[in-house]
Amino acid sequence: MNNGTQRAYYVQSLTVVKQDFFSYIFFRQIIVIADRLPSRRVHYIVAAIFLVYLLAGCDVDGSNNLPRVPDTGLFIYAEANQHEMQDSAQVAAGVYRDGEPVGLIGGDIFEARTATQRVLLKGSGNYGGSYASLLPVDNSTQDVFFNVVHEPIEAREDRWYPVDIAYIDPGPGELVGKSATVSFPPEVTITGPAAASEYTSINDVIDLSWVPFYGDDTMKLLSAVSCSDGLAKTSYGTVVELADDDGLETIGLDKFIFDTESDPALTFIKDASLVLLQELLNELSANNIDPDFLVKKVEANPISSSCEIRLFLQRQRTGQFDVTFDDGVVLGSRSAEVIINYIPPGLNI
Amino acid sequence: MSAYTLFLFSVLVFCMPFGTHAENMQLDANLLLSRFDAGGNDDFKSNKAITAYYNYYLKDWIAVNAGLLVTDKALDESRKDIVGNYRASLQSSSILLGIKPRYKFSTPYEVFGRIGLQYWQTELEVEEYFNENIPEGSSSITDTGYGYYFGFGGAYYVTNNVVVQLELSRFMQPDVFGGDSNYPFDLNMNALSFGVGYRF
Repeated sequence: MNNGTQRAYYVQSLTVVKQDFFSYIFFRQIIVIADRLPSRRVHYIVAAIFLVYLLAGCDVDGSNNLPRVPDTGLFIYAEANQHEMQDSAQVAAGVYRDGEPVGLIGGDIFEARTATQRVLLKGSGNYGGSYASLLPVDNSTQDVFFNVVHEPIEAREDRWYPVDIAYIDPGPGELVGKSATVSFPPEVTITGPAAASEYTSINDVIDLSWVPFYGDDTMKLLSAVSCSDGLAKTSYGTVVELADDDGLETIGLDKFIFDTESDPALTFIKDASLVLLQELLNELSANNIDPDFLVKKVEANPISSSCEIRLFLQRQRTGQFDVTFDDGVVLGSRSAEVIINYIPPGLNI
Repeated sequence: MSAYTLFLFSVLVFCMPFGTHAENMQLDANLLLSRFDAGGNDDFKSNKAITAYYNYYLKDWIAVNAGLLVTDKALDESRKDIVGNYRASLQSSSILLGIKPRYKFSTPYEVFGRIGLQYWQTELEVEEYFNENIPEGSSSITDTGYGYYFGFGGAYYVTNNVVVQLELSRFMQPDVFGGDSNYPFDLNMNALSFGVGYRF
């Protein structure tokens, strides 16, 4: 392994553990030191540090790649979510080959369209190789069609110069023409808990209720949690998969609030849902929110902090991708939101 | 104003001194530190340019002048977007026609201004890089048109004939590539110049 490969390996390792702020700082220092030492000594040092780190029980998480992407074959990810009262849907898509993201380039770009509207996915999604945008929709919109197109001029429209007369067009790439379609499930209406309900213990339960559909769609409860102990702040995202679309679910508050001094009983968002929930938060806040809100580091212990919990109930429906893909995650969803608060006893902020 | 009108005006200005008093003329040569602004998300590095003016003083306080402006290639920041990596650059040349009012103090100092029209020719070059499988390339386009300029400065007479001068100026080219593209832009160039003049 030469020095360049070694460094790439350590940088990849840094990405793996970067969800923890102190680990991030720690491994940055290791990389700085590794750059200055002979290769064999670097091996020993880094191996020892990794061993100590793993033995300490730290959570080492896969990579910054989209989860569930298989190691072989051509994989597509496409998702569209329409949130209640919003006149646009968050759309995101990406293509992966043999487990690695395939970057669109040279004017190839994802297009998402309905019967009447169309948008190019020029923004970067949260995962490598994913693209995101907002697609105007209304309640009559049923399907969103994702398609890789070659638009050498439109793809360059954000540049300042005359892109229609000064450009190099390498022609369409091999992904052009590949497509996927998602359908929106019925809209979601939350009937409980009441907005701004307050909870004081992580042993409390939330009686979540909604208008049921009793279909085969998947129900998920996503959360965007923001905590403050008066000095430091913490934000993160969690996800709970609900059993049925029957309109009622009792969920412990410990699925959203945790104690940093013990193993959390909750599941942080790591899958494709993170991409769209971050996009939704951006839209609801008019881009006035941290772009990494859902993967923010824990700086205040949530259990002893005042927390705002934004609950997003999402109804998901699996879509279809064309036969040229070997596998894929293609989802259409609708969502609704209710905000509750966690205020531990004795906290006066 | 057509190119023909501008040409006639140029001929008039240039021919005027040959039938008049010799000490009413001045040649200026300036080196400019300049920066382009295309009004969008461009971020040009500063570049250099030169100007040369011929001034003919109609009165002690006002002259008509004709000049030439040539810039070197100004580079925009390298950028990356969904299409690939790219870098744009601009180079411009102009013929300048205008007036130059001045106020001469009793000491060897004077302040002056310039305002006038320019006939410009601007070249845009774009270099694009994609990935190891797609060859890089560049594209170059040129446009011409009319614009404006103005400036003000101060001068110091080293001798009766030689003057050094410092000047701030702005050159404006509206609607560049407006006839050829759906994405035209207005190009401005701000400049700080240092130069010398010879009065004769």
